[in-house]
Amino acid sequence: MKVSLNWIKDYVTIPPELELSRLVTDLTMATVEVEDATELASKYENMVVGTIVEILPHPNADKLKICMTDIGGGDIRKIVCGGINMATGMKVAVARPGAMVRWHGEGDLVAIGNAKVRGEESYGMICASSEIGLFDLFPYTDEATILDLSAFDAQAGTSLAQALGLDDIILEIDNKSLTNRPDLWGHYGIAREISALFDLPLSEFKPYPPPGVPSLGVELADTTRCFRYIGVKIEGLSIKPSPFEVQSRIWRVGMRPINAIVDITNYVMLATGQPLHAFDSDRVNGHITVRRAQESENFLMLNGIELSLCNEDLVIADDIEPIGLAGVKGGEKDSVLPDTQKVILEIANFEAIGIRRTSARYETRTEAASRNEKGIDPQRCDIALSLAMSMFAEMFDKMAVTGYSDNYPVPLERKKIDVSLDWLEKNLGKRIPDDEISRMLARLGFDVSIDGDAMRVVVPTWRSTGDVSIPNDIIEEVARMHGFDRFDATSITATFEGSINQPKIDIDRKLREYLATRCGMNEIYTYPWVLDAYMNAVLPDADSVLSISTPPSPDERYLRPSLIPNLCKAVSDNLRYYDEFKIFESAQVFSSRSFSAEYDKRESLPLQRRNVAGACVGGAESYGVLYREAKGILETLPRFTHIEPYSFDRIIKPAWADSVIWQNIVLDGTVIGSLGLLSKKASLDCGIKNSAVMLFELDIDALTPYPSRTNKFERLAEYPHTDYDISMLFDLNVRWEEIYNSIIGKKSPDDLLRHVSFVDEYRGRQVPAGKKSITIRLVIGSLKKTLTSDEIEGCANAIVKRLTKTLGADLRSTASPAQGREQEPNQASL
Amino acid sequence: MKEKLEEILRSGEEKITQAINTIELQDVKASLLGKMGSVTEILKEIPRLDASMRAEIGKAANKLKDHFTEMIDARREELSLKASEIPTDFDLTVPGLQPHGGALHPITQMCYDLNDTFRSMGFEIFEESDISSELYAFDNLNFPADHPARESMDTYWLAGYEDKRGGERLCLRPHLTGASVRYLQTHNPPCRFVYPGRAYRNESTDARHERAFYQYEALIIDREFTFSAGKVMIKSILSKIFGRDVPVRMRVGFFPFVEPGFEIDMGCLVCGGAGCSVCKHVGWIELMPGGTPHPNVLRAAGLDPNEYTGFYVNIGLDRLVMMRYEVSDVRLFRSADLRFLSQFK
Repeated sequence: MKVSLNWIKDYVTIPPELELSRLVTDLTMATVEVEDATELASKYENMVVGTIVEILPHPNADKLKICMTDIGGGDIRKIVCGGINMATGMKVAVARPGAMVRWHGEGDLVAIGNAKVRGEESYGMICASSEIGLFDLFPYTDEATILDLSAFDAQAGTSLAQALGLDDIILEIDNKSLTNRPDLWGHYGIAREISALFDLPLSEFKPYPPPGVPSLGVELADTTRCFRYIGVKIEGLSIKPSPFEVQSRIWRVGMRPINAIVDITNYVMLATGQPLHAFDSDRVNGHITVRRAQESENFLMLNGIELSLCNEDLVIADDIEPIGLAGVKGGEKDSVLPDTQKVILEIANFEAIGIRRTSARYETRTEAASRNEKGIDPQRCDIALSLAMSMFAEMFDKMAVTGYSDNYPVPLERKKIDVSLDWLEKNLGKRIPDDEISRMLARLGFDVSIDGDAMRVVVPTWRSTGDVSIPNDIIEEVARMHGFDRFDATSITATFEGSINQPKIDIDRKLREYLATRCGMNEIYTYPWVLDAYMNAVLPDADSVLSISTPPSPDERYLRPSLIPNLCKAVSDNLRYYDEFKIFESAQVFSSRSFSAEYDKRESLPLQRRNVAGACVGGAESYGVLYREAKGILETLPRFTHIEPYSFDRIIKPAWADSVIWQNIVLDGTVIGSLGLLSKKASLDCGIKNSAVMLFELDIDALTPYPSRTNKFERLAEYPHTDYDISMLFDLNVRWEEIYNSIIGKKSPDDLLRHVSFVDEYRGRQVPAGKKSITIRLVIGSLKKTLTSDEIEGCANAIVKRLTKTLGADLRSTASPAQGREQEPNQASL
Repeated sequence: MKEKLEEILRSGEEKITQAINTIELQDVKASLLGKMGSVTEILKEIPRLDASMRAEIGKAANKLKDHFTEMIDARREELSLKASEIPTDFDLTVPGLQPHGGALHPITQMCYDLNDTFRSMGFEIFEESDISSELYAFDNLNFPADHPARESMDTYWLAGYEDKRGGERLCLRPHLTGASVRYLQTHNPPCRFVYPGRAYRNESTDARHERAFYQYEALIIDREFTFSAGKVMIKSILSKIFGRDVPVRMRVGFFPFVEPGFEIDMGCLVCGGAGCSVCKHVGWIELMPGGTPHPNVLRAAGLDPNEYTGFYVNIGLDRLVMMRYEVSDVRLFRSADLRFLSQFK
């Protein structure tokens, strides 16, 4: 909302020592957010009133003229001008070199120089209204019309801002900070707040006495939606412009002057915050009724849009049809027209919720609706009436009131709030003297009476429509008037133990830190909704999927039942820039499979589980490496995040997984996650080509965190251990699990075999068809002595024999790479 | 002649000690004991000397030669032990091998920084699910029945539940504040806790607006708690995030679930409060709303507003992270774009 400081000064005298910066800061701290304070005159720097003393032809151009122009004190300059309406003696707006103008009213502002125009020197320019942002005040039809200021009482040389009364400051107030303060939606309201903050006197409106004229006979058919309706029939009017100062004020705060009648209604609204409407009374058939619209009743708005109304809408109707959408917008039929001479002026108060709903229903956001929907006090109609009637009287000599009615069945009562002064002190953290509290609240219009600890506060009408209604509101009023910065900071001391141990909360963090810092994965965030394309590609048959009723876009209605679809989208997107990468996400997934009420039995929330999912991405042939990488991440995860371990099994294939490479993650017999390669079809449907994508997803809520670390100390080996690698040929269908089980066989505690680990698998030219070579690392050593090489060989040979016998393996080679190596840190101890 | 020998001894010893590598030492050796070396020169001159002096000078010169030889050998050994076997053209400007390249999302990092700070002040961490209901998103929080935020303009209602009421009208939570009531219903006051999480609003997006955002709320409930104590709390948090003392001011602000309500501003870190384009020339940046929980909210949580009061703040993490790193477009946070995410280590 724009506020003119000059306008404010009509109602409150701002002393010269009150600086603008302080006014802006204090208003921002205590009342509303002032986003900007602009000196309007700064836009008209280097612009003055000039008087054309002589018009000469331009030697090189037929359409241009040379205007000899007095720019003050007989300083006559040569200015080239292309206008069509110059005349000797005419007062014009001269933009001197340095002024900022908009050429032909278009494009960016440019600085005027001292330039030659078609070979002739020109001292700046003579402006059209649009070139200096004044078109709305001085409209024209031919674009070559220059601004004629002859009607203004200003000498040549007077600054343009001063001549037009534009030496004003415009405050820009953030509307959001005004939503709960309906009293501030007008200059008088802001003036009243300034008067309270700085303890300055506020001028009052003289009440308009009810005129002794016949009643208009307005009927309020729904008093729950219309609380007050003042109608005034005014005759002897005409369509003409309003005085320049009225036009200028309306324009300065962002509206457009129209004609005197409409300008009065807008001016009064901007001054008081009370919307008004004027109907052409010759076009109103019979009496006015404020009633609900009938279902499908048609209404043609002032802007030419035809609405089909519903019973929830409130209308102003004559005997035949609606003539206004109450509190929102006028109708076309009965509005002020070029031949209007009589009006019915409406000053009414409506119930706020209804206004908001109607305004939203027809997407009609008007200045009137934005005020009426905030909940204005009906008493404000009185000051609006007073101001409006005095303006009509001033502008129209022959004005006569010929009809009047004021329907106000149930006057709004002022709210009464009882506040304990001790309670107030406890909440403020400071004792403010009683008389200071009284004074501060009185300045805001509150009536205060104090009896011991009990304070009774009577709220002014303009704050009684919901804004101030409970004792906490009084804390705020006292605190802001006292100044938030004047309360001493006190430290917070109490101790609490709830934060010491929160394993369920910590597990998510441990997981994310493990994946990011140990596994080298990048964490991503995605939206909870999923594009249909990825849903269909990855989870084509998903059931119990929740969706949004008004989704961000038509193909983003599903709420993710799994993190995999959006993860695949992220993979697909990133493949544009990277060939190999690892990403993960930790977030909730949703399902309508079951509902529960954990906090309130009236509530019924769907199943929501926190999941973590990751993707390891590489070239199409790297699936083997990626599988081991992803599996390694999952195998090591329980150890590093301090949770109970899970195992891998094949129970149910995820829809997105390749038919060979997939496994489930199982805890206590329940599938809590999966690991697998994104199938070829799903890959292509996700737009992924020539890349292998290994995915995993795990239900974090199903994991059981250990209360503390569970590592166990293991004694260091006293005697050397030997690494002994054997490479053997196996049939292709022999699995590592079988090989491993065969090697450890029936191991006794003092056996010499300490560890077994997988080194690699090789298939290729040096290996016969139908076979694969597997290299196995044995760690051989005794707990009691240093072994001889015969003893080491003996242990290894027994294993080779066992593998040959049980799995039909053939030995390729053996090697003992190093003595006394440390065991592989991630290999389980035997 | 004697003086000459003494001079050779002095300068020779100096040269040997000062040789910094074996090559230099070799040069020193040549200059002393080589064919043209100063000691050799003396020895060459001996035959031409007066006979009476020959023996003495010869002896002294030979002693000097032995002394230098010994000293050079010792110095050579000393130098060769110190010397590197690495070629001297080893390139030290080659970059190091980088460890794993993963990183937490910058908002997660901010969230954890805050968790650490709040925990050090005794705050518990609480989590609520993303899907909530009208009961917790609005009814419990003193949102009037006609509050515009209830209309689909702002809240994502779930299909099939949008026409139900209260606890059965499901939505993606439009803010986190509902979680505070859940916590208070299951814990006894006094308490202090934070509840970070994602919230969603049906808005059009641009560089400064998102449909999904990450919020962080903190709530203290106690028998006595003044907003000036809250200000201390906020200052502590900001000094943790920005690594230095940050000025804070509170001014009036309106939110349905608090009374009184505040807008909390921090001093602009770019200009130090002098005014710049970042802070729109006011020296302050709007940071977060806060306030005392509205009595109706306390009642919804089963607490007596005459007995309990509190302090609440809501921190928008997206915005805070944007300020921390000067990120220009909020939509990057949910783009999953590794070119962006991999910058925050």
